[in-house]
Amino acid sequence: MSQLLSTQLLFAALLTGALYGLISLGLNLVYGTLRLLNVAHGDLVMIGAYTAYWAMTLAGIPPVASVFLAAALCAGLGWLAYTALFRRLLANAEIARRLESNSLLVFFGLSIIIQNVFALAFTASPRGYQYLSDVYEFAGVSTSGSRLLSFAVAAGLCAATYLFLRFNLFGLAVRGLIERPAAAEIVGIDVDRVRIVSFCAGFALAGVAGVLVSQTEQINPFMGFPFTITAFVVIILGGLGNIKAGLAASFVLGAIETYGVALTSANLRSVLIYGIFILVLLVRPQGLLGKAAR
Amino acid sequence: MRAIEPIAWAALVAAGIAVYLGGSVYAVGVAFSLCTAVALTQSWALFSALTGYVSLGAVVFYGLGAYVTVLMFGETPLLLVLAVAALAAGGFAFLIGWPVLRVRGPYFVILSFGLAELVKNLVMLNEDRLGQFSRMMFAAPDLGTLYLLMLGCAIAATLVAWLVRRGRFGDGLRAIRENEEAAETLGVPVTRLKIAAFVLSAIIPGVVGGLATLRTGYFEPSTVFDPTISLSVVTMALVGGGDDTRGPVLGALFFLLLSEVLWARLPQLYVIVLGVMLIAFVLFLPRGIAGLLPKAGGRAT
Repeated sequence: MSQLLSTQLLFAALLTGALYGLISLGLNLVYGTLRLLNVAHGDLVMIGAYTAYWAMTLAGIPPVASVFLAAALCAGLGWLAYTALFRRLLANAEIARRLESNSLLVFFGLSIIIQNVFALAFTASPRGYQYLSDVYEFAGVSTSGSRLLSFAVAAGLCAATYLFLRFNLFGLAVRGLIERPAAAEIVGIDVDRVRIVSFCAGFALAGVAGVLVSQTEQINPFMGFPFTITAFVVIILGGLGNIKAGLAASFVLGAIETYGVALTSANLRSVLIYGIFILVLLVRPQGLLGKAAR
Repeated sequence: MRAIEPIAWAALVAAGIAVYLGGSVYAVGVAFSLCTAVALTQSWALFSALTGYVSLGAVVFYGLGAYVTVLMFGETPLLLVLAVAALAAGGFAFLIGWPVLRVRGPYFVILSFGLAELVKNLVMLNEDRLGQFSRMMFAAPDLGTLYLLMLGCAIAATLVAWLVRRGRFGDGLRAIRENEEAAETLGVPVTRLKIAAFVLSAIIPGVVGGLATLRTGYFEPSTVFDPTISLSVVTMALVGGGDDTRGPVLGALFFLLLSEVLWARLPQLYVIVLGVMLIAFVLFLPRGIAGLLPKAGGRAT
């Protein structure tokens, strides 16, 4: 029982929470501005992780630098997906009638294409690398440098994105589009531009999260889906499009997962995550925290 | 078209029986896969294509049927086992129907996927607890018998799909797809119709899962609850055309050819092609191959 009160476990919960925050922030930006649920979001985390892996093993570029590489790569993929697929999807009347379900199928198709292209190219076997693995001790926490770095970058980026959306003029336009899509257009926000920037930014955040994850966990082509699920849990808990409540929900979920697994067993992790996911969807798909953004 | 269609259906059934009577083991195996695909896709389209509640978790009924079968097989007669598999899948759909079908649109899509994954993980957990990693089944019926039963499932699923589509039941389900609130206002009992169609779409996949597991003689939760099965079903329905009884058969035939070429040698490439087809048909041909054919029998089917 005393193990539950340790700062070690608290740090693990905070780190998980910060990573979930970063991943779900990206998903939220895409959903909020486009009202499209991206089920391929976790695969971008996977792409980021592979970017870091290959940068490190082939060129010796450390994760601190490959973060930028992964962000650029994922943002580029976002631009490609938006201009090639989703503009068309948004423009076609017959598809737009059932747009949300159809876009989900398109994202689902993208997700399995990405996963299997990676499996074909790099095999499905898990990979990993060593980086900043020496252990530091403070306040009863012993942790590797890479975990500290992950936490710092994830928490920092979450805070920076939040502040950007709150104070920057373009950030305000993004929030305007999220909260009042119809009004945003009337007051002269360039909706297409805001959408494409949010789309790319959301993809890039997922790529960065992937780099951070790859430092401490083994990576494989199918690692993304659990992240998609957790990101969905987070943004559904916090309310779709609601950035602040989503960040709060990330830490709640990080704590539930970390303490839940510590109390029971690691085998239960998937059951726990899927269980919460389904419960949340059944009870209140509009979100538990805060008011629903409609 | 009116005259040709019944003949085409009869020829398909006759071909199915001819394979049983005179086909090689390979031919029976291929026909078995085709019937599996037709039965699953017809069942999926009956609910998802008609109501617009797109399910990515079709595998859950198949997997439950398989699990029931592997647990019961041995002491119980085959037909009883399959009946229980059907009952388990249908019962599960009935139990979860009311809460799950209140969730709409994209939320239902991700919910259906999550639900199938949850059941998969629960079954895995249970098998772990029992100390089972995989199970072998001995003395399974011969391939010919299993094939005949699977052919029966495919015919039954197609008949049910056809009957539902031409009746008031089907009209009610389509009304839900077009505008659920309006349908409810006009007195369509939407909740009852949705649950009935959901249960109906679960029963045959339960039997199909049982038969497919008996054929391989091997059970592993991650195989019978493989999300790729759900994906294949959705893609076959979309490629063939979900809003038409002919669609799932066309889609199944198309992917049978594809999987015969690719699945054994390059399973990953097969899944990639599935993904590409899914996107291409959603974007360019939302009515599927059947949408290119003349409408069957005068009225929309």
